[in-house]
Amino acid sequence: MALGDCWKQLSWFYYQYLLVTALYMLEPWERTVFNSLLISVAGMAIYTGYVFMPQHIMAILHYFELVQ
Amino acid sequence: MAIITAPGTVRVHLNGLKRDDSGRNGCHGGREKNGPRVGVGSSQHSRHETFEQPPMYVAVMTYVGYGIVTLFGYFRDFLRAVRIEKCNIAQEREDQKDFTPLYQDFENFYTRNLYMRVRDNWNRPICSLPGPVFDLMERVSDDYNWTFRFTGRTIHDVINMGSYNYLGFAENNPDFLKTVADHLQKYGAGVCSTRQEIGNLRMHEELEQLVADFLGVESSMTFGMGFATNSMNIPALVGKGCLILSDELNHTSLILGARLSGATIRVFKHNNMLSLEKMLKEAVCSGQPRTHRPWKKILIMVEGIYSMEGSVVQLPEILALKKKYKAYLYLDEAHSIGAVGATGRGVTELFNVNPADVDVMMGTFTKSFGAAGGYIAGRKELVDYLRGHSHSAVYASAMSPAITEQIIRAMKCIMGKDGSTEGIRRIRQLSENTRYFRSRLKELGFIIYGSDESPVVPLLLYMPGKVVAFAREMLARKIGVVVVGFPATPITEARARFCVSAAHTRDMLDQVLHHLDEVGDGLCLKFSRRVFSSRPEL
Repeated sequence: MALGDCWKQLSWFYYQYLLVTALYMLEPWERTVFNSLLISVAGMAIYTGYVFMPQHIMAILHYFELVQ
Repeated sequence: MAIITAPGTVRVHLNGLKRDDSGRNGCHGGREKNGPRVGVGSSQHSRHETFEQPPMYVAVMTYVGYGIVTLFGYFRDFLRAVRIEKCNIAQEREDQKDFTPLYQDFENFYTRNLYMRVRDNWNRPICSLPGPVFDLMERVSDDYNWTFRFTGRTIHDVINMGSYNYLGFAENNPDFLKTVADHLQKYGAGVCSTRQEIGNLRMHEELEQLVADFLGVESSMTFGMGFATNSMNIPALVGKGCLILSDELNHTSLILGARLSGATIRVFKHNNMLSLEKMLKEAVCSGQPRTHRPWKKILIMVEGIYSMEGSVVQLPEILALKKKYKAYLYLDEAHSIGAVGATGRGVTELFNVNPADVDVMMGTFTKSFGAAGGYIAGRKELVDYLRGHSHSAVYASAMSPAITEQIIRAMKCIMGKDGSTEGIRRIRQLSENTRYFRSRLKELGFIIYGSDESPVVPLLLYMPGKVVAFAREMLARKIGVVVVGFPATPITEARARFCVSAAHTRDMLDQVLHHLDEVGDGLCLKFSRRVFSSRPEL
């Protein structure tokens, strides 16, 4: 029951995303192309963040002389 | 005839297809732009017109949406160019590929890549009378709107919110149409000649006399086509050496007529009296460019109701300006004749001005009278001159007898000459419907443009995806709406345009409003940030 509601809500959000970005006007394969591009760029950004975040945080703390 | 010191430049604005957004009137900064500030005196009743601006994210996402679709347009054009994909639209022939390209400009790009994708929302074939409800033929497309096929089913009783049927005269009741049928039987369908040759029927003269009485002017002349009335008569009135001051949002027929005439055209900001006065001052002081001779004529061209905005012209201020600077006024009442005013006489009645003050009154019979054609009315000298010198009068074939009789009976009905109160009832019903519809839409939280009197209600949708989804959703709920996007409107202001009719019952309007409420929530269209109370006096 809750899963059904959750699915409906997610479906509505996806519909809003399609409308706002005008993907609603495009054919399904174009939507797939755009979505995969968007997800791959977002995924790469998250992965880069994951790999480099500890180094960046250590460098900031070192600059503010909170850790040696 | 002052000789100016600074060089005067001619700024010819092309108010053609692409209008940029910068010309909005009465800048206040902040989210709501009120109606324009008045330059010369103000009318007794303050007409409240607002053009509310949406939140910032709406404008940003509109551009983002158009950007994405344009990028995909380039991608698909590339695929078509390297022959991975078949090209379904017109292309040059193989042996003409080296000639000047025909289909590379923006308009063709836009048609190929944006309009074709979603064109099932326009040109829908109807198969009944365009009254308050009508029938549509159901059509589907198997290849993303390149071709259509009819399923054979009809969608019955779709509520019609798109026809210009303001007074409900698009009807097929045999009692009302009896005289029309009689005349059709007596005179046939066509006239087969022009007015100047053998096509001048007695009923054409009767119609012209009736139109002149209706408007309260000396004389009038009717033509078979409303667009041709504007585009063919303006060249007869002005020519080279004259100046035309035309409103930013004038209809294409006015623009075409102005360009055909060869006069200098200057565009003033929409409904902005300060801009108009500045231009008039400059025109009178500097005269024609380069020679600085005085202009032969200055003609101000405005419309009664602007059909894309729903805004009403500021007639008293324009008349005051016109008298002060000795210009002429051309008033195009295509949408306002029969639809505004206490007895349907148009904007002159709405503002309580003498119709003799307007030099050229033009209107069409397509909207409020349920027929086709246009008229030009004014002083007798003007109309007699046009009879001889207008292209439309001399060359166009005369109005069909059945249509002429339809206009005569509709006009007699409005004026009350047929002995019933049907006309005045319709006008009152239209006024009530307009007020009700507009106020309820504002309450629901949509952004509506225009004045509270105009039966044309543009509802702003902004984003291209939402425009298309709106039209499809409303059709699924059996309501027919007209959605308009670029190039008829600025690119960020796509809208749905509702035309309220006297034939709509309160029940139909409630149904439409209920569905609008649901669709507005489902598509997140309620952008208005005004807090609207239905009891403001409390």
